[in-house]
Amino acid sequence: MSFFIDITEENDQLPTLKTGRGKLAWLASVDHKQLGIMYLWLALFFFVVGGLEAMVIRAQLALPENHVVSPETYNQIFTMHGTTMIFLVLMPAFIGLGTYLIPLMIGANEMAFPRLNAFSFWMTALGGFLLYFSFFAGGAPDAGWFNYAPLSEHNYSSTQGVDYYLIGLILTGIGSIGAALNFVTTVLTLKSPDIKLNMLPLFVWMIFINAFLILAAFPLLNAGLFMLLIDRQMDAHFFLPSTGGSAVLWQHFFWAFGHPEVYILALPAFGIISEVVPVFSRKPIFGYKFVAASSVAIALLAYSVWAHHMFAVGLSNAVNSFFAISSMLIGIPTGLKVINWIGTMYKGQIRLTLSMFFVIAFLIDFTLGGLSGVSFAIVPIDWQLTDTYYLVAHLHFVFLGGSLYGIFAGIYYWFPKMSGRFLSTKLGKWHFWLFTIGFNLTFFLQHILGILGMPRRVFTYPNLPYWKVLNFFSSLGAVLMFFGMAAFFWNIYVTLKKPRTATANPWDAWTLEWATPSPPTLKNFDEIPRIHSRRPLWDLNHPDNPDKKLN
Amino acid sequence: MGNILSVYTNDVDRINELFRYFLVVAAIIFLLVVGYTFYYVFKYQSKKQLELPNQEEGSDRIEIILATIATVITAVFVYLTITSINTIQKIPEHPKPFLEITGHQWWWEAKYPQSGVITANQIYIPTGKKILLKLTSADVVHDWWVYKLGRKIDMIPGRYNYMYMYADKPGEYLGACSEFCGVEHARMRIRVIALKPKDFKVWQKHQLQPVVSKPKDALFEKGKELFEEKTCTNCHAINGTPHKEDIGPNLTHFGSRKRFLSDMLVNNKTNLTAWITNPQNVKSGAKMPNFILSKSEIKALVTYLHNLK
Repeated sequence: MSFFIDITEENDQLPTLKTGRGKLAWLASVDHKQLGIMYLWLALFFFVVGGLEAMVIRAQLALPENHVVSPETYNQIFTMHGTTMIFLVLMPAFIGLGTYLIPLMIGANEMAFPRLNAFSFWMTALGGFLLYFSFFAGGAPDAGWFNYAPLSEHNYSSTQGVDYYLIGLILTGIGSIGAALNFVTTVLTLKSPDIKLNMLPLFVWMIFINAFLILAAFPLLNAGLFMLLIDRQMDAHFFLPSTGGSAVLWQHFFWAFGHPEVYILALPAFGIISEVVPVFSRKPIFGYKFVAASSVAIALLAYSVWAHHMFAVGLSNAVNSFFAISSMLIGIPTGLKVINWIGTMYKGQIRLTLSMFFVIAFLIDFTLGGLSGVSFAIVPIDWQLTDTYYLVAHLHFVFLGGSLYGIFAGIYYWFPKMSGRFLSTKLGKWHFWLFTIGFNLTFFLQHILGILGMPRRVFTYPNLPYWKVLNFFSSLGAVLMFFGMAAFFWNIYVTLKKPRTATANPWDAWTLEWATPSPPTLKNFDEIPRIHSRRPLWDLNHPDNPDKKLN
Repeated sequence: MGNILSVYTNDVDRINELFRYFLVVAAIIFLLVVGYTFYYVFKYQSKKQLELPNQEEGSDRIEIILATIATVITAVFVYLTITSINTIQKIPEHPKPFLEITGHQWWWEAKYPQSGVITANQIYIPTGKKILLKLTSADVVHDWWVYKLGRKIDMIPGRYNYMYMYADKPGEYLGACSEFCGVEHARMRIRVIALKPKDFKVWQKHQLQPVVSKPKDALFEKGKELFEEKTCTNCHAINGTPHKEDIGPNLTHFGSRKRFLSDMLVNNKTNLTAWITNPQNVKSGAKMPNFILSKSEIKALVTYLHNLK
């Protein structure tokens, strides 16, 4: 393989700031662990911003005909809330965890392309800050996170907001594509020679599959974004029906990216759950090959479901039927995974750590979100409930109940590895209970609002029967979530001031990242143990009861 | 195509029944997941004993059985879905719509091509008849949704969509624009008034009568003059006058409408005065300009519009 330079060696010879000390070294770092942590800080920062935007939304909607913000401001806030949470919170959080953990889990000392890694991070950060600069440049984007044409064209959205949206997302998109390229190459070329593909930890499998999804989905988004930018700046008329363009074309571009994107934000969470459940049940994952194979099935099907976002557009019955079938099919491999996680707990020895709390909440809330998702594949139901608060409820059950609970489980699990310190259990339980009760209160009620006819993206609503009380309690739940998150941030703050107490492998886990000290040294591994199974550290710690040999 | 859902002649009932089937199956799956999760978490909680659980790696048999059950359930819903799609959205090859609705930022234009009636926002339909709608948009994407009367469908500029609407009983049905369409999307609400076929005919006949032919009083006449002089006619049409613009709502028989501004306000003189005095104060972002009219001019215009019964 002379095609690939052995980066690890090369890198040591570079006059790199990687070996430097001090805060500035972070800015110039190409170390995957530092970059991973920076991704997570970036996600945390934008989570605060996006969360505060959500609080404004719930304050405005707490009562009918409320006047907390003007309709113009409200539309900017909800657009930025969605865009932020998808592109600047969930994406960097998962890419950050992947960047930190992938080399450690496969016994490598770096990513395949360390400088591309840094470039990807800074592009993502630049895109995010540029997007937010729009607030100071005349107004934030206000056409929703999926930015439908022609509302997003300059004749209907005359501020610079949508231009900032386009350029910002093009940049974060380039960052994501770079990161995905890096993941694929790293897994294929830098995994320890002992590790065969069917021995990779499932988190690595999920990030690996995910990287292919990103590589195919984000270029589509970026193509669409460029076309809209050219439309707005130079009148190309791609998406303007009055001059020969097509409003529906934008929707196809966006959702052909947008639906794989939903799985891009779900697969890494599946990976985290597939690591956490076995470790805290003290058993291997139930059906390793089914978890891995069903993810490949999800990835392939993910490309053929996008028009289920467009059932109300008025496509032909044949097209709608095709996308209905594929959207229902994708529920099968996803549901199978839930069975695998529950099966892992069967006859295990479950340790109820904070990570497990979040896993349990994940299993329940993600199942709810997945099931309500199936109702949208049943096209006539979609013809009633799409673009209502039922959909808002569904997508939050998937993104919070699924993706975010996965991230929380992962943070509580890997925090000792990354920082050498344990997050406080007491504060963690405040975080868990406030957030979980608040989340379910806020979003469960929104299902009912949707069924009662409340459309999404409205800055106010008439006082129809039950709308007031349901919205009020929905907003009350948001307040609980706010305090839950405050407990989480406070937890991180106080924990980082405590001395380092974590040992190398505090959870008695079995993947390779736990073979390094907590936190790992700059060079991850001086030596790696011989690997014969999916659980190398288990074999070391339990020589009398080793895993099945796979090589 | 006949199946268990065929007993529902009404689309909305059919969709509701389909939703109930989904709800039953989803509830069973959900309760199984919740039940097993909690059962295992409590039953297999570590009690600090050190012996390790059996290191089992799963069971192909269970996975295949469960995947098969899931596939069977999916197949049933695929069948129900596709037959329902084809029943609900069965549009003739050469559709003859009863009602044409065009979405505008932020109001609804309604034309009845068979009778020639043109109105806006307050939309009348006869009961007991499946009526075919033709929908499009004059600007951005809107979406027509009156959830008790039928499905929702997008109104897309440059395209025509068709759907059926059906009202069983006379009454007022509320709906809303269901696709984000800009600043006042929230206030782009719908009120459909279903009348018995006999009453609908009466309404239709009344709508077809020109109103401005019979002058009422001096203020009314002044208002009528101002309506032309202040260029209101550049956007608003009133049948019986030469102006046919459809940039703003058609105001023929405006006085007979119960509410205005897409169902936002009750149609009375106070609200109308506030609206004409400063539209942005009432509905921020609305496309109607402030003409900076004097109090007496506004009074005349309000009198004129209010009497267009």
